[in-house]
Amino acid sequence: MSMLSIKNLHASVEDKTILNGLDLDIKPGEVHAIMGPNGAGKSTLGYVVSGREGYNVEQGTAVLDGVELLELDAEERARAGLFLAFQYPVEIPGVSNMEFMKASVDAQREARGEAALSSRDFLTMAKEACSKVQLPLAFLKRGVNEGFSGGEKKRNEIMQMLLLEPKLCILDESDSGLDIDALQVVADGVNSLRSDDRSFIVITHYQRLLDYIKPDFVHVLSEGKIIKTGGAELAHELEAQGYAWLTGDSAENTAETSA
Amino acid sequence: MSTWLANAVDRGGATNDWLSPKRQQSLELLQQSRWPTRKTEAWKYTSVNMLVDATFAETSDGIFDAPELIDNLDSIDLLLVDGVLRSDIGDLPSGLSIYSIADTPIEQREWAAEVFTGAKPSKHYFGLVNDVLATAGVLIDVAEGVKVDRPIRVICRQSNGCESHTRILMRLGSNAEAVIIEDFAGEVKSFNTGFSEYIVGESATLEHYRIAMNTGEAISIGGCHFNLNYRSALNSTVVGLGSSLSRLDIDVNHIGEYATAKLNAFYLLNGSETFDLHSSIEHIAANGTSEENVRGIVADSSRAVFNGRIHIHRNAQKTLAELNNRNLLLSRNAEIYTKPELEIYADDVRCAHGATIAEIDKEALYYLQSRGMSKAQAQIMLSFGFINELVDQMPNQNLAAWLRPHLRRRFAEMESTQ
Amino acid sequence: MTEQIDQALEREYEAGFVSDIESETFAPGLDEDVIRRISAMKSEPDWMLEWRLKAFKTWQQMEEPEWAHVDYQKIDFQAISYYSAPKSMADKPKSLDEVDPELLATYEKLGIPLLEQQMLAGVAVDAVFDSVSVVTTFREKLWEAGVIFCPISEAVQEYPELVKKYLGSVVPQRDNYFAALNCAVFTDGSFVYIPKGTRCPMELSTYFRINEQNTGQFERTLIIADEGSHVSYLEGCTAPQRDENQLHAAVVELVALDDAEIKYSTVQNWYPGDENGKGGIYNFVTKRAVCHTNAKVSWTQVETGSAVTWKYPSCILRGDNSIGEFYSVALTRGMQQADTGTKMIHMGKNTRSTIISKGISAGRSNNSYRGLVRMGPRADGARNFTQCDSLLIGDQCGAHTFPYVETKNPTAIVEHEATTSKVSDDQMFLCQQRGLDAEKAVSMIVNGFCKEVFKELPMEFAVEAGKLLEISLEGSVG
Repeated sequence: MSMLSIKNLHASVEDKTILNGLDLDIKPGEVHAIMGPNGAGKSTLGYVVSGREGYNVEQGTAVLDGVELLELDAEERARAGLFLAFQYPVEIPGVSNMEFMKASVDAQREARGEAALSSRDFLTMAKEACSKVQLPLAFLKRGVNEGFSGGEKKRNEIMQMLLLEPKLCILDESDSGLDIDALQVVADGVNSLRSDDRSFIVITHYQRLLDYIKPDFVHVLSEGKIIKTGGAELAHELEAQGYAWLTGDSAENTAETSA
Repeated sequence: MSTWLANAVDRGGATNDWLSPKRQQSLELLQQSRWPTRKTEAWKYTSVNMLVDATFAETSDGIFDAPELIDNLDSIDLLLVDGVLRSDIGDLPSGLSIYSIADTPIEQREWAAEVFTGAKPSKHYFGLVNDVLATAGVLIDVAEGVKVDRPIRVICRQSNGCESHTRILMRLGSNAEAVIIEDFAGEVKSFNTGFSEYIVGESATLEHYRIAMNTGEAISIGGCHFNLNYRSALNSTVVGLGSSLSRLDIDVNHIGEYATAKLNAFYLLNGSETFDLHSSIEHIAANGTSEENVRGIVADSSRAVFNGRIHIHRNAQKTLAELNNRNLLLSRNAEIYTKPELEIYADDVRCAHGATIAEIDKEALYYLQSRGMSKAQAQIMLSFGFINELVDQMPNQNLAAWLRPHLRRRFAEMESTQ
Repeated sequence: MTEQIDQALEREYEAGFVSDIESETFAPGLDEDVIRRISAMKSEPDWMLEWRLKAFKTWQQMEEPEWAHVDYQKIDFQAISYYSAPKSMADKPKSLDEVDPELLATYEKLGIPLLEQQMLAGVAVDAVFDSVSVVTTFREKLWEAGVIFCPISEAVQEYPELVKKYLGSVVPQRDNYFAALNCAVFTDGSFVYIPKGTRCPMELSTYFRINEQNTGQFERTLIIADEGSHVSYLEGCTAPQRDENQLHAAVVELVALDDAEIKYSTVQNWYPGDENGKGGIYNFVTKRAVCHTNAKVSWTQVETGSAVTWKYPSCILRGDNSIGEFYSVALTRGMQQADTGTKMIHMGKNTRSTIISKGISAGRSNNSYRGLVRMGPRADGARNFTQCDSLLIGDQCGAHTFPYVETKNPTAIVEHEATTSKVSDDQMFLCQQRGLDAEKAVSMIVNGFCKEVFKELPMEFAVEAGKLLEISLEGSVG
């Protein structure tokens, strides 16, 4: 039984095809890293699977733990156990982090037929999650991501992941813009959630993050398709050699696309 | 010509009190002015037709419920019912004096007469009406260097079928500090004009709130007018609901250099309500700063009007002035009219204004949904957040805490009409 | 700095000369009889005269507007002559060879050669001198493409059906005081018709020149772009330097039918008056376009002249998916007053509008942007973006912004931004440290400020506009 099974996924944005027949199969407990040049469709994969408006699925299926995702609204996918840690989380002034997370946790509990948490119970959970990602408690009171630094936003995403306890987590460049210490915090948060019944997709440009979050598989995405799959060692090869040897482009072309 | 006005003018002309010379001047101006119509620029989007032949009782002896207490606020409460002061002015902190306009001691009249029409420009038609008719109201004096630690809450209520005209005149001596809450609420059929004038002394600080919560059939036309002297500071928050006709004019005059003004205003409109807010920031002296944020959410078949003017006079060099107006329009039958204006006569200044009318941010909506919230829930949360950002900025968080449940209730009503 | 600005004000208005041309000019005054005489001079059909007389009655009932942020002495409409034409035009010249050489020389001096062989390739010109069109070039070449480009007085005779159908259809007679007056007394102007699916093979342009004293110029322009057609039209204006104010009250109507596109560019350089505000043109103009489905109209204007400008080129976005654009640079100096902007009336679904306005105030002038963006109840998904920037040069001028935004549709999005700034000491120092003199530095900074608008102008005009700004700012800083 797969945790996530994506088959022949084609998707476009404003009539531009971004995903072009993508297949991916993830078993419970596995961590899959997705790497690839800029514009390969890495972030698009996260958006398409999580149901962002404006991303049109043309073909294919994506099944999460027996649930066909692509038919569902974004919130229904979240309630089915999907979590996306955003590369650029949006700021929402006026809505406190606390209020936001309690409403989210309760919405997901309600969908599972569970009662809403008492404010006190939730606060205990939230405090614990905060300390895990080393965010001061004051961040619970602040507006969602409002005025947070890049690193604080990433840690706030992980904090939400800890509270929502999803089945499948997609981390979209959760390492970008982080120093070594912050990277460690993010990785610790992720690793603390690793278990046999939870899976991860780690989207990244750099092998560095994968030293902290050890992947079971590494995939190379190019032009909307997975063109190579290997173990953790593939990330090292890519770090050393770039993508050109895989995509068949000359090194200069690759440099241009990533510029 | 309005028969209501003719009647009011007759009454006003007959008034004889210590403010009569001033009232007479305003009466003459009023007689020279034209009754506002949609052709009057200041009333382009809001009609006062319903007042043309309106009749109201002048006062009633209606028994009034005690107004709602605000937890932890510990305010000095002054209740005015139909413009008549009903509270006893009890013991006051030292350095603070409060008088009823009707019973102003002779020795206080000179300065009070200077405050009267001292900050309010004569361009406001109903301001002139208030000059002529407001025989009731309060006079508040904060002595030099005195910091009044309890907020002063002036509570204005109307009874059914009544007309009232109230005035607040306040003077802060240099280095003084005070908090004032003008609390207008009620929904019974009535008409009130409530105008207030503030002279903020050198290096004095005024924290000001106008709770403009007249709703339903309570017609409310008012204004808050401030003269800011050298290095003084104003922080003002306007909270608005609409009614069959609700209008507020704010004027901030930077008379002295280095004065600062921060103005926040927000309104939530529902049903067939109108809320019309005009603000005018006059930078007359140099080195002043002003920052104004106005936000509105407009539902059902309501209409919001905002006119925000920044006027930089020739000598007001080194001024920094910013105005931002954002609106959410929730319904097909609702209307929003906004006009941010700049009028600038000095070159070494930084001024900017912006206005948007939009839907709820799609990216934020997706973010909330991706965490499992329904679209409807996410929309309410984002709309509330849009307003709550300004509630969070209120310096008095006890007042903010009291306000939030009121706003949430209003949101729930607005949502149910969608 | 102020001293330098004063110097700038003393600069010559290069188009300020008077041509010695014998004219036939009506005595000043306005009544029904004058209108009948104008109509007779043009040998107009009855329906045209009736239309004028109706407009005159309407005008008589209207009041001169006072809402604009301008201050000028009331116009004495009886002191103006409503018709003036070069005598040589009495028998209409058949070709350029028959045109009075003095007239040709006038346009030559203004930098507008009318002899086709001397002309910039690809630009056809209609030259309007006081009340009449003097000559229209390249008519035959345009005729081959099916494009009609002629004086409107001629169109009334030759294409009455088109004129009847569209004249007054965009700007109704009672639209405003000056438009009503124009309807009654307009004398000439350009008429353009681009047939279905045609891309006009060259730029069309009209040069307006007021020469005679005490005359008003009331031109009328009507451009009809039939379905799927495309045209770019340019307009330029100059007048002699005189102590009296002269009135220019034009009406321009654009009709962009389904899928059509009209680009209308103006470089307005009427005589602005002297440094004390004596003389200069009152430029009270009504310009409006109606856009049908998928049509696009783009207004670009560079306004440097006139004592008083009152002008709001607008778009009625009637058809779904139609697009309106307004790009404006308005420079005022001396005692000039400009109140200019646009109206974008969104009626159709998914209509789009963009407004970029750059106001530059110097001397003792006042420069106002006045705009209206209206989202109607049916304008689902409509969008507007407005950016108004003001630049103040010196501490005796004024820069103002009066934007009206009205929305009745919850799916429409409006964004308005305005800023004001001055040429900063830091910017000046940087330029000077790199070796530029102050004048060059300011002109560079101002050009940079206006860049977004200049890039919308056709090439020849962009160069002209840049030069015009440079001349206008000459010596304005130190």
